[in-house]
Formats: sequence, structure tokens, C-alpha cells
Amino acid sequence: MKILTTVKKVVDVELNMHVKDGALVEDGMQYVTNAWDENAVETASQLKENNGAETTLVSIGGGDNTDIIRRCYAMGIENGIHVDDPALEKADSSIYAKVLQKVYEAGDYDLVITGKQAQDTDSGQTGIILAEYLGLPCVSNVIALEVIDDQHIKVSRSGDTGTEIVELTLPAVISVDVSINEPRLPQMRGIMMAKKKKITEMDLAALGTSADEVGADAPKSEIIEFMASQSRQAGQKFEGDAAEITAKVVDLLANEAKVI
Amino acid sequence: MAKVLVVAEIKQGVLKSSTPELLSKARAIGASTAVVAIGSNIESLVPELAGAGSDTQYIADDPGLELFSAGPVAACVVDAARQFGASLIWFGFSESSKAVAPRVAAQLDAACATEINDISLNGDQIEVIRPAITNKVMQRVKVNTEKLVAVVRAGAFEATEGISGTENVVKLSPPEMDLKALVREILTDASGEIDLADADIVVSVGRGAKDQAGIDLVRGLADDLHAGFGSSRAMVDGGFMAHNKQVGQTGKIVAPTLYMAIGISGAIQHLAGMSGSKVILAVNKDPEAPIFNVADYGIVGDLFEVVPILQEEIRKIKAKQ
Repeated sequence: MKILTTVKKVVDVELNMHVKDGALVEDGMQYVTNAWDENAVETASQLKENNGAETTLVSIGGGDNTDIIRRCYAMGIENGIHVDDPALEKADSSIYAKVLQKVYEAGDYDLVITGKQAQDTDSGQTGIILAEYLGLPCVSNVIALEVIDDQHIKVSRSGDTGTEIVELTLPAVISVDVSINEPRLPQMRGIMMAKKKKITEMDLAALGTSADEVGADAPKSEIIEFMASQSRQAGQKFEGDAAEITAKVVDLLANEAKVI
Repeated sequence: MAKVLVVAEIKQGVLKSSTPELLSKARAIGASTAVVAIGSNIESLVPELAGAGSDTQYIADDPGLELFSAGPVAACVVDAARQFGASLIWFGFSESSKAVAPRVAAQLDAACATEINDISLNGDQIEVIRPAITNKVMQRVKVNTEKLVAVVRAGAFEATEGISGTENVVKLSPPEMDLKALVREILTDASGEIDLADADIVVSVGRGAKDQAGIDLVRGLADDLHAGFGSSRAMVDGGFMAHNKQVGQTGKIVAPTLYMAIGISGAIQHLAGMSGSKVILAVNKDPEAPIFNVADYGIVGDLFEVVPILQEEIRKIKAKQ
């Protein structure tokens, strides 16, 4: 089984974000592996260890992604591809999906595993759109996976009314939820070995495509402005005698907020 | 004139509140409206769908649509969108919507925006506003295509009182099954529980509850209020609460009238899942807990002491009402 997994470099969401003149203030920003992608990497690594799968990861954009890809190597991924091109600077989900389509078609993969969503855009679309472009079956929000045979896997999906059990015929695309596994921490030996491994760097031309073909010349949507979040204001906080302050708050809920 | 197709949100035969909310917004921006309803034994919902503000009802009613499967549902939405000539296709916020919307967008060669808070039309120019970077910022997104498929955040739009449409049913042919992604079964959640996604009050429990006894205490408060009972990620990871009870960015995003965060410190992923609530009450031992930064009312105290008093005081107030 050949697996392609996707990893994105994103801004560290634990840091404070500042907006000035409609743009994010880059100063002080740090970039890290998209946390939700680590679950995809872990899923791929487990399939390598338990089922002899061959694992490749692809990362698109982000400039120097060496550290991020090496970290995935240290987590067990065997091959890494980094596609970057100035034309991809304003790429939306469908452009990412077009680029992934090209990577997929060059590699004869059986299963594409993506994370649930990227922490910078919070969109959760790319894997699903990729499956549409490829005409492949797709299940998103996967919380468990079991290999049936070379051509079939069984997945559990966390849905609206319960856990959906779906049998997928490979090749297929899945996106995994954070609850599928606990991503391993890279160990020293893996980190040392990862430093020696090569990363395949490609631009769109090397991938056999162009900005025009992946739609990068005409994105379907584009971010025109960032705004500060309409963050809530802290309200009234009470400290002191529990009985007294709790009675006070219940009174406020009933008579000020009128919500009980 | 813009044409809005709203994908009806139906759960176990019941039409959910997102449907009238989205139809109300569509009418408010002067669009003509249609709804597409997909499922098994749902034809009886037609009067309600019209009453919610739609002027055409596309109905895909087939036993094969009993179990949710994203491929066939997307095919029905695309069919309805083409027949109606929709420029805007709107979904309410749900896991199903998140799975179906990108498929519909890809098939219609449309732009796709998830978790939108607002939408504006200026002539043919469509713009949306949505949170990004774990709710830390908002972004204004310009749509460059004629069509937009959007998933709307819970609570973004309000249903207009006294709205109504007209009955005009168009039956859709049943879609083909997705044989390469066969849904074998759905292990349904415990019945009788109040759905987090549309509960008026949500009570959530966090790490402060420590163990099962603490969880049961907080659940008692939820039961008293007929509230949905949710959880922070810590209690799910700890094995105390089911995954589908997790409120947060990667779990359920909720926007109830009242949200009670009990023993929850307020990690950003949790805040991203509940900060759209109308009123937030937080109970936490740590006066510096980030949850207090978003709470309208905060009680600094041990939940084991505070929750029983909350229950008693709420009982007293209810008795007076």
C-alpha cells in the first residue's frame, strides 16, 4: 500500500495575532507544523509499521519547510516532497487540491491521508476537493481505521448522529480527526537519521504543470482583509464566599441576562 | 436577482433551526429562495420547509438516503442547484455539511467558504466574513466565481418572525449509491439526550471535575436545566466523555443562549467552539483561567462547592417564575 500524506506549515496559533491596516502583523510570528496534520502523519506511520505501507508526505508552500519535513521523517515517514512556487502565494483550497492532484498522479498512491483542517485557514476542504478532482471515494473526520485487504479499508467517521462505519475501496482519500491517535514525539535516533534524508524540492514546472493549469492565476476566492477578532469582553468576575457570589450570579442570569 | 439554495438540516426526521435562519437571511438580502431536503421519509416536512421561507422545495426522498453518505447527498444538492440556477448554496453548520459542501463546490466549479459569519452582496460581487487562525482573527474573503457554496456558523443569522414561503415541490431522482464508500451502519448516539448543536443551554464540564463523580455532579446541573451536556477536550482524552460531546474547534461548535463552562480553563480551541454563545458563565478555581476573559459572569471557586449551590439557587428562581 502506498500512502501520500499532507503536511502544512502554519502560523503558531498559540501566539497572539495582531492586525494592522487589514494585514496580519508578521513581526514576532512563528511557524510550525499544522498540529492536525500530525495525526495524519501518525496514521501513515502506523500503517507502515503494522501493514508494511510505503509512506510519502507532501508539503505545499511555506518557503523553507526543511524542519517540518524532517520532523515527519523522524516520526516515521520515508519520502518527502516539497512543492513551492511564487505563483502559489495566494492559493485557496481548490488550487492546493489541483497541485496535490498532480503529485498524486505522479506517484500511483493507494491512500491519501490529510489532517482535519489547517490551523491557519480552518477550512477543512482541500482533501475533499482533491477526491472530487481525482474521482476517488472520500471520508472526512475519520476517528478509526482498519485495513481489510489490499483494496479495502474500513473507517469510522464521527458524524452528526453517531459513528458512521464506512467501507472504502482503494484508492481513496481520508481526512483524520485528532481523536484517531496520539502523535508520537520524534526520538533522538529518528531525528539524527532524518537529517541525512533528502527532500524532493519542486516548483510547478518540475511537477509538470503551470500556474495557469492549477488555477493559481485566477483563485476562486481571495482574502482581501484581516480584521481583529470581535473578541468578547470579560464581564463580571466574583470572588469570595461561594454561597453569596453564586446566589448573586444566578440572580444576574435570571434578571439581568434573562437567560434562565 | 441572487438565487439562494438552502440545504435543509434534518436530523432524525426533525427540521433544525439553521434552515429558517438561512432562509430568513436569504430573504433579507432580497434573494429568491429554494430549499433542498434530502433523506428518507421526509416528504411530510414540505409545509414546514415552505413555512420556513422557501418558495421552491427540491425533495430527494429515498430509502437509500436513510444513512448519511456524503457522495449521494452532494449529488442531490448539485442537481437542485443546477435546476434552480442557484448562485449561492448555503449549509447550516454540521459535520455532514462540512463533508458535503466542498464536493458540491468542486462539482459546480464554485468557490467554497466554511464557517462563515456573514455574507454580503454588492451587485454580483460576493464577500464573506469568517474567523480564521483558531478564531484569533477574522478575514474578509472576496469570491471571484459566480457561485459560492458556504457553510454558515451556528448562530450567525437569526430567523425572522412571521416569515413564510410558498409550496412548490420538485422531486429529485434518487442518486446513485457510492459503492466505493459504502456506509455499513451508523452507531447512533444515546437517544433521549439533548442535542448539543441546537440546545438552548449548554453545560460543559472540564478537567476541574477530576473524575466520574465530578462529571455526574455537573451532569446533574445540565439535567436540571434541560441543557445539552458537553465537555472540554481534556475529559474526552481522559476517557471520561464521548468524543461527540467535545465542544471546541475540532469538536462541536455551539452558540446557545447560555453556555456554562464548569471547571474548564479555556484553551483557545475550546474558546473557538463556544465564544459565539449569547451569555457565558464560567466556574473555575483559578482566577487567572483564560475562560474568564470571555465569560459574562465568572465565579471563582471550587466547582464541587459551587455547583450544588448553583442548582439550589436555580431551583429557587424557577420556583418563583
